[in-house]
Formats: sequence, C-alpha cells, structure tokens
Amino acid sequence: MPSSFNMDNLPFSLLTKKEQALLRQNLDIGYFQKGEVIMESGSVPEGVHVVLKGKVSESETRDNKGGHEHVFVQYENEDYFGAWSAIKGKAIHNFIAEEETICHIIPIKTVLELVSGNSLFADYFQQNLTAKTEIAEQYGASQDMAEFMLARVSEGVMRDPIIVSEPTSIKDATALMREKKVDCVLVKKGSRYGMVTGTDILNAVVINELPISTCVATIATYRLISVHPDDYLFNALIIMTQQQIERVVVMDNDELVGIVDLTDVLSFFSSHSHVIGLRIERARTLDDLHMAAQGLNDLIKSLVSQGVKARFAMDLLAAMNSRVMAKLFDLIVPADMQPHVCLIVMGSEGRGEQIMKTDQDNAIIYRDGLVWDEMQEVMNRFSEHLMEFGYPRCPGNIMVSNPEWVNSLGDWTQKMSDWSVSWTEADQMNLAIAVDAKPVAGNPALFKASRNWFFKYLKNNDAFFSNFAKVALEFNTPLTFFGNLKERGQLDVKKGGIFPIVHGVRTLALENRILATNTFKRLEALVEMGKMQEKHARDLSEALGLFIQLRLRQQIKRAEEQEAGVDLTPNTLDLQSMNKMDRDLLRDAFHIVKGFKKHLELHYHLGSR
Amino acid sequence: MIIPRTIRRMKEKMEHKSGPYAYLFQPYEGDEVVSLDCETTGLDVKNADIISIGAVKVRGKKVLTSERLDIKLKPPKTLTGDSIKIHKIRAADLVDGIELDDALEQVLAFVGNRPILGYYVSYDIRMLDKFIRPKFGFGLPCKAIELSHVYHDIIKWRMVGGNVDLRFDTISRKLDIPMLERHTALGDAITVALMYVRLKYGDPPELG
Repeated sequence: MPSSFNMDNLPFSLLTKKEQALLRQNLDIGYFQKGEVIMESGSVPEGVHVVLKGKVSESETRDNKGGHEHVFVQYENEDYFGAWSAIKGKAIHNFIAEEETICHIIPIKTVLELVSGNSLFADYFQQNLTAKTEIAEQYGASQDMAEFMLARVSEGVMRDPIIVSEPTSIKDATALMREKKVDCVLVKKGSRYGMVTGTDILNAVVINELPISTCVATIATYRLISVHPDDYLFNALIIMTQQQIERVVVMDNDELVGIVDLTDVLSFFSSHSHVIGLRIERARTLDDLHMAAQGLNDLIKSLVSQGVKARFAMDLLAAMNSRVMAKLFDLIVPADMQPHVCLIVMGSEGRGEQIMKTDQDNAIIYRDGLVWDEMQEVMNRFSEHLMEFGYPRCPGNIMVSNPEWVNSLGDWTQKMSDWSVSWTEADQMNLAIAVDAKPVAGNPALFKASRNWFFKYLKNNDAFFSNFAKVALEFNTPLTFFGNLKERGQLDVKKGGIFPIVHGVRTLALENRILATNTFKRLEALVEMGKMQEKHARDLSEALGLFIQLRLRQQIKRAEEQEAGVDLTPNTLDLQSMNKMDRDLLRDAFHIVKGFKKHLELHYHLGSR
Repeated sequence: MIIPRTIRRMKEKMEHKSGPYAYLFQPYEGDEVVSLDCETTGLDVKNADIISIGAVKVRGKKVLTSERLDIKLKPPKTLTGDSIKIHKIRAADLVDGIELDDALEQVLAFVGNRPILGYYVSYDIRMLDKFIRPKFGFGLPCKAIELSHVYHDIIKWRMVGGNVDLRFDTISRKLDIPMLERHTALGDAITVALMYVRLKYGDPPELG
C-alpha cells in the first residue's frame, strides 16, 4: 500500500526519501489463506514480505524421519520476513500463513536495488542481532549519551605523561609540574615507572622533612594501575572507584602512552556517579552512608534514561553497592573481628548484574573456631541497616540475619557439598546462588578457600554438571507468545530469557573453573579458553544485555507509576508498550536463547525432555 | 434517448471496429481485474465532477499496487464545501492536477478491456462515461464487477431471510480487511481489491 506502508520501522526508516519513494512505487499486496505456503524452502521467493495483517510462521523443512516441525519465529503486524531468502535468491525456510494474512511484497529487484544503494540498509538486512542492536543504538534518539559513555580511553581525556629521569630532584620535579600545570609526574626507574603526585611531594617535604634535593624516585609509587587505550573510559572510572585512586596510567602492551586523571574523567562525565562514590567513601556515620545510598537509584535512573547501556550501568552500580556494603560492614563490625569474617554477596549481586537495588543476598563465612558471641546480633543489625538504605529483604531469607547463612568455613563447604548432591529444587537454587558469590568486605581469603575447595570437589563430577545444567531448561522459551501478542501481551523475561543464559553460562563456567562471576565476564573467559565460539558468546552477551535493558526500562516506568515507588512485577515485559524495533530484537534474542539451550542439552547429554 | 446498454455497446463496437480503440471491445481473456474508484464533488452524476481517480490491478491473489493509477485532476467548479468534508480534498490539494482529457486517456490505457471492479461501480462507470462518451464517442465497454454483489452472493446462502448489510464499512469489518486511507480514490480501490481477493479465495466470512 503506497502511503500506508509504515516507513518509520527499521530498516525502512534507514532509507532516504528518494529510496522510500522507489520502494512505494514497487510495492504489491499479497493475500494468503490460512495454512497457505507463502514461500517454500528452496523455491525462488518473490521478495521481502511485510505483514500488514495476519500471522506467518517460519519453520524448518520437515525432515524425512517425520520429526516435528521446528517453528523458529512468528511474524505479525509490520514484521518483515524473507529478507535473507530474497537476497540469496532462494528461500531458506518454509513460510506459512498461520491465519489469513495480507502482506506487502517488496519485489526482489527492488530489494537488491535498495541494498546496493544504501549500505546501512544492507547491513541491517544481512547482519545478525549484534549488528542490528548497534545500528539501532546509533540510530536511537538518545545516541548522545550512549556515545558519550562509550568513549574510549584513547579518544577521551588521556593526557601525555610527563616523564622525568631517575635522578631528578624534588625541586626540579615540582618546578616542572608547575610549568606544565600538572599534578603528577612519572619517574622512570630501570624499566619501571613510578608515579609522584603533588600530595606525595608535600608529604615527603613537610611531614617526613626530606630535603628538596631528594630524588623523586625514592618517594614514587611503583604499583600503578593501568588501563588499555581501547578500554572504555567508563571502565577507567569504575577502576578508580573500586581501587579508590585518582589516576590510572594507560599502557599499550608494554608502552606507556598516557595518564588519565580522575578530575578529567569527572568533567567528562557530567553525571554525578563519582560524587555519590565519594560520599559513600567519606561517610563517617550510618546517617551519612544512608544519605549517600539514597542517591544510587536516581543515578541509575538518569543513566538509563540517557541511554547508557544497561551493562555499564550495572558495572557501576555493582561497584557502588559493594562500596556501600563494605562501608557499612566497616562501621558496625568491630575492627578486631574484621580479619576473621568475610561478607559475601551472592546471586545477581555477586554477578554484578543487578540494576535497581534488589534483594539482599548475602552471607558470612567466618574462620573455623572463631569465638564471637555477639556475631549474630551484629549481623541482624547489618541487615536492618541495609533495609533502611533501601535494599529490600530477600524473600528467600538468604541474608546474614538468618543464622543459616552465617557459617564457619567448614560448615559452609559442607553445605555446598550437601547441596550439590541433593536433587531438590531449593538446594539447587541455593547452590546456584552460592557459586555466584563475591567477597565484598572482611577477609577475602576465607572466601577464596571455600571457592577453591569447591572447584576441586567438582572436578570430573559429570553427573553433578548435567543435573545442575538441567535447571536452565526448566522454562520454555516464550517464542510462541508473539503469536498471542494481542491477547496476552506480557511475558516473564527472567524465566524465558535471562535465567537460561545466566544459569547455562554459570554451569559452563563452573565446569571450566572460571573465577569470574559476572555472566559477561564468564562468557569472555569461556571464549578465551576456547570453550565457546566467539560469535556464539557475543550473541549471548548481546541477548542478555538486551533482556536486561528492556526489563530495566519497564521497571523504572512501573516504579514511577506505583505510588510506593516499588515495582511489583519486576520481571514482566509488557510487549504492547514496546515498539516494533524492540520486539524485533527481543524475538531474535529469544531465538538465541533457544539455540543456547539446545547446545546445553547436547553438551550435558540431557536428551530430549 | 434511452438505449439499453447492451445494444448501445454493440452499436459502439461496430462504429469503432477499425478505430484505435478497437481492442477495448475485445472480450477479455486474462485473469486480471482492475479495481477502480473515483472521488467526486457530489453523488449526482449529472452535476458532479471527478476530482481524483485511483485504480490498481488485481492478478490472482495479488493486488498489484506497483501497477496503479493515482490521478489528481484540476479543481472543478463544483468543488465546494459539502464534498470536501468527505474526501478532504481542497482546491489547494489539486493545484498540480492534470487535465481531464489526459486523465481519461490514462484510464482507458490502464484498464484496457479488463473487467472493472468497484463498490457501487456503476456510479464510477457512469461518472467516467459522462466524460468519455462526448470525447471518444463510446462508453467504457468492459465488464463490471460489483463488490457488494460478490459479497451478497456469498453471504446470502448463510443468511436465510433478513437483509444483508452491504455498507462499505460493514463489509470491510466482516471480511476483516483493514481500511486503508478511506476516501482517497487509490486507498478505496486497494481496499476493494483486497476485499475481492478475500471473497474470491478465502473462506466465507463468519457471520455474527
């Protein structure tokens, strides 16, 4: 239909006015009865079809063994299909009208003409989900902030390093700093670099009363934290926040290429993330900390509304949350007890994958034989305070106020091994939560000991892994939901998409003894070890990122609508409030989940269930 | 003088046997029809003028919107308030319209001897004939397919007694065909074409 054809949807919105006119000029409309084959696998397609009304399913050719037809995707309202087939000149799957369907048809000749004339359009048609997302992002309205957050270290605020030789005196170094208007110089000692800041010099001369002829090399700090020029500037900020430092050096392989200064990064990021970080750090009392923690939700909201990728927002929030907990731990656990206990966060918090402040999932591991009578009472207070700060209670009561989750190292390892041989759902879930643990305060060695023990314990335990992996297949991938979009416009994205990926990757990571707990990092590690194809891992990351992003957007919306400001159905995606593009991406992402589940089934010999 | 249509058509066919328009009088052999709609300034053939003409070919189950006619005419004098409310076409929208004579030639070339499909198609044909006859000396000779008749023929077997509601919107709703750009000539022509394909190839519509 010439002018009712919707050009606002991707990829058609990528076309120029002239190209859109050409497209309109050549459109036809086809009518298909229920059950009619629109395109048969192997046949020459007429063109790209765009559904005007009705429903079409894409399926694999029925195999000769009479196996089930495998329906990949269903298309409806304004979805297009058959692009690949049109470009290849041969239909790759069967396309069948599920109900009476009316389609716009863009003839192959026109498609090819448009593809050859417009590279963005061609990319969109030909690429996989990753590329689609990228195009959508670049094209999205909120591209400013996204680009901003995606700035690399090398293109952002990197400064040229001022390097002085080893024998330079404090006096000369200070003069140089003054001349160059910088607050730090690097000193080369042998093949190593050390950093000297204005504060270092002040301390050396005023406090330690060193003569100004002293070599700067003697007062420099040699343990430097470095980033790669291709790292995201945002990551540099996170590192600085985590390590509580104000400068990182930029190293390309072994070569020093620059310095990134916190104040520069801050002026680059106008958001107030670091301000909150500083407030957390400087909190002296519980009230101070309370105030600082309050700001976190607003920060995330502003980041997301500005179009920052959920993945980066998560990284930042995870770092912030850990800091809040560590600080709280610091404030209420007596200093003499701190080396004997370790606070761990588990589940999504442990993976660094929560965005809104969600439930407290935490536990304590303490040294075997520790005598500390008030421990449970202190832990109860800890949980109480977190609740005040806006971290809701864990509905499963997995938190330190529950004595079940306050264990000595011996008891803790015993529990993990008990869970791992149990087949009950609760135990399996407990274990899943526990293996994502990350230490945030106290003595991390206690946690490391338990983790190493567990890895050793699992070695070559194939039965455990296949039992563990099975949970990932528990829930159906909600691909069919698309068929019922109008009647039931909601789906549970956690069950359908997030959980299978997270749990599947968790199982693979355990099997390969990967220390990282974050799903994205686990995927990277799996690729590095050669256990997973890079493309595969990238698709999974992208799919997971998308699920989280979409979920977050709706969570924020719902939280604002609710009077109490709390989202009651955090994992529900309302499809009707999403635009065509997002639904498209979501469908592709579920497609990836489906493939991944199949892979797990094969890998862990789970057979058909 | 009132001459029955068939007799007049035979007469015109004889007159134009060797003229440039002889092919229009040949019986049509193909499987295409042309869905056609005119927007006019009124509903009375005598006094109304055509302001736009839309047409698409239908081949089998396909509505060939790529082969279409979308003509805007120069604003006629009768373009006044009342009809503007319906089709929302103002004189200003027709500034780049073409002359009626050119339009008629385009219509004849586009339609050829294919059957013409429409909703109350006789009105559109009479409207066109009113201008074609004085210029070319014949009226549109092709077969006419009335959508509401096609609909009625299918529906009547399932509705014993009672009247069939033949309003455009009702048919569109019963057939579950989206109405695209109602009250533009081309939009209506396409909608009618889709209804026709739906009636001809789909299951009889559900009643209720």
